[in-house]
Amino acid sequence: MPLKLPEADTTIIQDKKNIVQDLFKITKNIIHSDEEIKPYETDGLSVYRQKPIAVVLPETTEQVSKILKYCHNKKIKVVPRGAGTGLSGGSIPLADCILMGMGKFNKILETDFDNRCVVAQPCVANLAITQAVQHRDFYYAPDPSSQLACSIGGNVAENSGGVHSLKYGTTTNNLMGVEMVLMDGTVLKLGGKHLDSEGYDFLGLVTGSEGLLGVVTEVTVRILKKPESVRAVLIGFDSIEDSGNCVADIIAKGIVPAGMEIMDKPLIIATDNYAKAGYPRDVEALLIVELDGTTSEVDTLIDKVLDIAKMNKASYNRASNSDEERMRFWKGRKAAFTACGVLAPDYICMDGSIPRNKLADVLSYISKLSKKYKLDVANCFHAGDGNLHPLIMFDSNDPVEMKKAEDFGADILKYCVKVGGVLSGEHGIGVEKRELMCEMFNDNDIQQQLNIKNAFDSENLLNPGKVFPILHRCAEGGRMHIHKGKDKFPNLPRF
Amino acid sequence: MPDIFYPKTEQDVSDFIFDNYNKSNPIEIVGHASKKIGRLIQSSQTLSLSSMSGILEYFPEELYIKVLPGTSLSEIETTLKQKNQFFGFEPNDLGYLYDGKSNSGSIGGVVSCNLSGPGRFKNGALRDHVLGFKSVNGSGGKVKSGGTVVKNVTGYDLSKIISGAYGTLCAITEINLKVSPLPEFEETFLVNDIDYAQAIEIFRIALDSSLEISGACFFPAANASFLTLNDVKKDTSVLGLRIQGPKASVIERMQSLNKMFKDKATSMLDTYQTSIFWREIKNFEGYANSKEFVCKVSLPITNMVNFLKFFEKTNYKYFLDWGGNIAWCSLENQSDLDKMKIFCLKHGGHLTVLKANDNFRKSEEFLTNSDSNIKILSKKLKESFDPKGILNPNKMYAGI
Ligand SMILES: Cc1cc2nc3c(=O)[nH]c(=O)nc-3n(C[C@H](O)[C@H](O)[C@H](O)COP(=O)(O)OP(=O)(O)OC[C@H]3O[C@@H](n4cnc5c(N)ncnc54)[C@H](O)[C@@H]3O)c2cc1C
Repeated sequence: MPLKLPEADTTIIQDKKNIVQDLFKITKNIIHSDEEIKPYETDGLSVYRQKPIAVVLPETTEQVSKILKYCHNKKIKVVPRGAGTGLSGGSIPLADCILMGMGKFNKILETDFDNRCVVAQPCVANLAITQAVQHRDFYYAPDPSSQLACSIGGNVAENSGGVHSLKYGTTTNNLMGVEMVLMDGTVLKLGGKHLDSEGYDFLGLVTGSEGLLGVVTEVTVRILKKPESVRAVLIGFDSIEDSGNCVADIIAKGIVPAGMEIMDKPLIIATDNYAKAGYPRDVEALLIVELDGTTSEVDTLIDKVLDIAKMNKASYNRASNSDEERMRFWKGRKAAFTACGVLAPDYICMDGSIPRNKLADVLSYISKLSKKYKLDVANCFHAGDGNLHPLIMFDSNDPVEMKKAEDFGADILKYCVKVGGVLSGEHGIGVEKRELMCEMFNDNDIQQQLNIKNAFDSENLLNPGKVFPILHRCAEGGRMHIHKGKDKFPNLPRF
Repeated sequence: MPDIFYPKTEQDVSDFIFDNYNKSNPIEIVGHASKKIGRLIQSSQTLSLSSMSGILEYFPEELYIKVLPGTSLSEIETTLKQKNQFFGFEPNDLGYLYDGKSNSGSIGGVVSCNLSGPGRFKNGALRDHVLGFKSVNGSGGKVKSGGTVVKNVTGYDLSKIISGAYGTLCAITEINLKVSPLPEFEETFLVNDIDYAQAIEIFRIALDSSLEISGACFFPAANASFLTLNDVKKDTSVLGLRIQGPKASVIERMQSLNKMFKDKATSMLDTYQTSIFWREIKNFEGYANSKEFVCKVSLPITNMVNFLKFFEKTNYKYFLDWGGNIAWCSLENQSDLDKMKIFCLKHGGHLTVLKANDNFRKSEEFLTNSDSNIKILSKKLKESFDPKGILNPNKMYAGI
C-alpha cells in the first residue's frame, strides 16, 4: 500500500555507506542489511511498510544524544521506535531516515516504594512494571490491551490508556518524570520523584506527542497499591441504547467504576467463540463493569449497579464471585482484537472518543456505514470514558477493499468529531489519521502546533510526516500571523 | 495607570492582541486581578478577562463543564455542588493569603497557576482536569486544543502547557474542565504528639495500605494554631488522614486506621468538621494576613525528612500536605528562602513562592531556577506562542 510521506532526500539515501560508518563509531548496534531490517519496516498498522536507511539500537542516553546530534548536523531524519505495537503508524520509517530502536533500553532501574514510583528505561514492557512491584501488592495503573508487549516509552509517546483509565487515568496522569533527548542532542530531565514540576509543563506536552518532540530515554511512573477487593459484573441488553443509558446512569449516580466496557453483538459472538468466555449470546450489547475498593464498598456498589441495570431493561446479569470468574469476564474482551483477526484476513481498529450520550447514535451510524461499504465491523468501547474501537474487517490483498476500509474508518472518525468527540482517544494520529486533523483543527491551531514542534526540533527531523497533514491545508481560522507575507517557519514542510 | 480593556468576545481579544502585537506593546492579562502571584509586570496595556464570564455548557453525566475565563470559581463551584459534583483538584482559594478573606478569583486565573488542593496526590493536579480550551496567542491568532472528552490524543496536549503558564503563552478565552462526583461521606483520622519523622512514617504506612486515603497533612506543634476547630488540639502536633466514599466503607476504613495506629494518640473528625479542616488547609487560612513569604516546597517524600531536619533551626512555619510530598511554608527572611531553594534544587524538587512583597516581585525569581536547557526551551516555547514577548512579560521568569 503506498503511503504518502515527506519527500525522501536521495542524497542521504545515496550516502548510506558513510552514514552507517559514522554511526558505527557511536554504537556497534546497527542493522542495515535488507533482510535484517525487515522486521522494522512497519508497526501495529502493518498495512503500510517502508524500509529506513538503517536501524540503530543505542544502549545509553549518551549514545542517543550523539546519534541525534550527528543526524541533526547532517540533516538526517530520525524515527524513534519502541516495541512497534502502535496502531497509527507512528514508528513507520521513512526511506531516508534512521530508525532509532529503543529495544536495548529494557531495564527497570529502580523500584522505589517509599516514593511510590518506578524508574524504568523506555523499552521496558508496560506489564513488566507491574510485575516488578506486585510482590508488595503495588501495580502500574494504565493497562493497554497490548501491555505484554508495548513499551512504557511508547506509552508516553501515545499517552496510552486501558480499561481502567476511567478511574485511574491514562499515561499522562501517572507519569512523574522523563529523561529525554532533543533532536539536537540536548538531554533534558523533566519532573522526577516529586509532584508537579513548576514552569511550563513540558512533561504534559511531551506525553502524547507521538515521538515528534524528543526521544525518551528514561521514565518515572507512579505506582498504586492494589485495591482490597475487585469485582466485575456482566450485564446484557437487548439494545445498544439501553447499554449506553445504563453507563450514563451509573456515572450520574456518582459511581466511578474502575472500568466500563461495552461490546456489540458481532464482537460478543467473535470473542466468545475465540476465548470461550461464557458470554450470553442472545443479547445485543454486553457491558462489563468493574468496581474496586474495600470489600464492603465494592459489594454495595455492585448492588447499586445491578439496580441501575435493571432500570435500564437489562436482560442478563452476573456478578463475579471469585477472581477467576472476574478474569473470565475479561478474557473475551481482552481477546477482542485477536478474535477479529480470526474472522478476516485484516482488520483496522479505529479509536474515536465521543461524549458518552452519543454512543447509540454513533453505533447506529457505524452499522449503516457497514452496509454501505459492505464490510463487517465489530465494536468494543471503553464506555466509561467514551472511547470507541470499531474493528473494520477486510482483506488487504484486495486494493479496492483496502481503500473501502480506509474510507469507512475516516467516515467513522469524522462523525465522532461531528458529535463533539475527537479523532483519537489513545492510539494517536500517526500517519493513519494525519489528513483528518482538519476535521478538528483549522490552520491557526495547526500552525501553533507546528510552532511548538519548531521550538523543539527546528529542522523538523524527528519523526516527520506524522500527526500533521501533509497533503493539504486546513481551513483558515480567522487571523493567522503571516510575517511579511511569509509563513513564520518556511522550513517546516506544511500540509 | 495602564488602560484596561474589557473584551466581550474572543474576537475582541484577538483584535486587541493583534493591535498591540503590531505596536509591540506589552500586555498584562488579568482575570479578577485579585492575586499578586508571579513577578511584577511593566505593561502599558491591561487585558481584563473579567468581562468574559459565564457557564457555557454543563453536562453532569458527561463529567465536564465549559466556562468563560472570567467566571468566578465560586460561582462554578456552587453550580457543581447543586449536582453533587466538584473539581477533583480541589482548587485553592488564595484570597486568604492576599486579602485575608475568601476570594477565589476567576477560573482563567486558577488554571493559569496550576495549584491543587489536598487531594492532589490521589485525584491528580489541576492540569489533569483541563480537557480543552480556546485562546488567543501573542500575535492575535485564535488557537484551540483538546475537547470535552477525557481520552484524547489528537495533536499535542496544549491543555497541559497552558495550565500553570501564568498567562505568558496566550489569553485563555474558554475552558473545558473535568468534574467529579462529590464523595458521599468523609471523615478525618487525627494523630497527635508525633514528630515530623514519625509523621512521614505514618503517611507511608497509611498510603501503602489499600485504604484510599485522599488527604494526608501534618502540622508541627508550633503551627497547630493554624487550624481553628475546637476538636483539634493546639498545643501539640497534629496529623490528619482523610477518608472519603460510601458511608459504610468510610466507617470500615476508619476502623482499620484505628487498628493500624492503636498505640498512638488518635481521634477523629466527623463529616462536618472534616470539610472545615481541609478547607482551612486548602485555602491556607492560617497564613491569612501574613506579612511573610509563603512558599510551596515540593520534594520526593524521602527527601522531605531531610529538608525538615536541615531547617530545624531556621525560623519558619510549615505544614506538610499530599502525604509528605509538599510543605507549605511561611517565613520572614529572604536569605532562608534562598537556602531552601538551593536545598530543593539539590534534592530533586523545587520551591515556588506564592506570596512575596513587591520588592521581591520586581527583582527576584518566583520559581526555582531550573537548568539552563529547560530555560532555553522555555524561551523557545514562549516565542512559539508569543513571538514578540508581549503577554505577561517576565511574569514567570525574568526574560520570559
Ligand atoms: C493488540 C493491540 C492492542 C492495543 N491496545 C491498546 C490499548 O488498549 N490502549 C492503548 O492506548 N493502546 C493500545 N494499543 C496501541 C499501542 O500498543 C500503544 O500505542 C503503545 O503505547 C505503543 O507502544 P510501542 O512501544 O509499541 O510504541 P511504537 O509502536 O514503537 O511507537 C509508537 C510511537 O511512539 C514513538 N516512540 C516509541 N518509543 C519512543 C521513545 N522512547 N521516545 C520517543 N518516542 C517513542 C514512536 O515514534 C511512535 O510514534 C494496542 C496495540 C495492539 C497491537
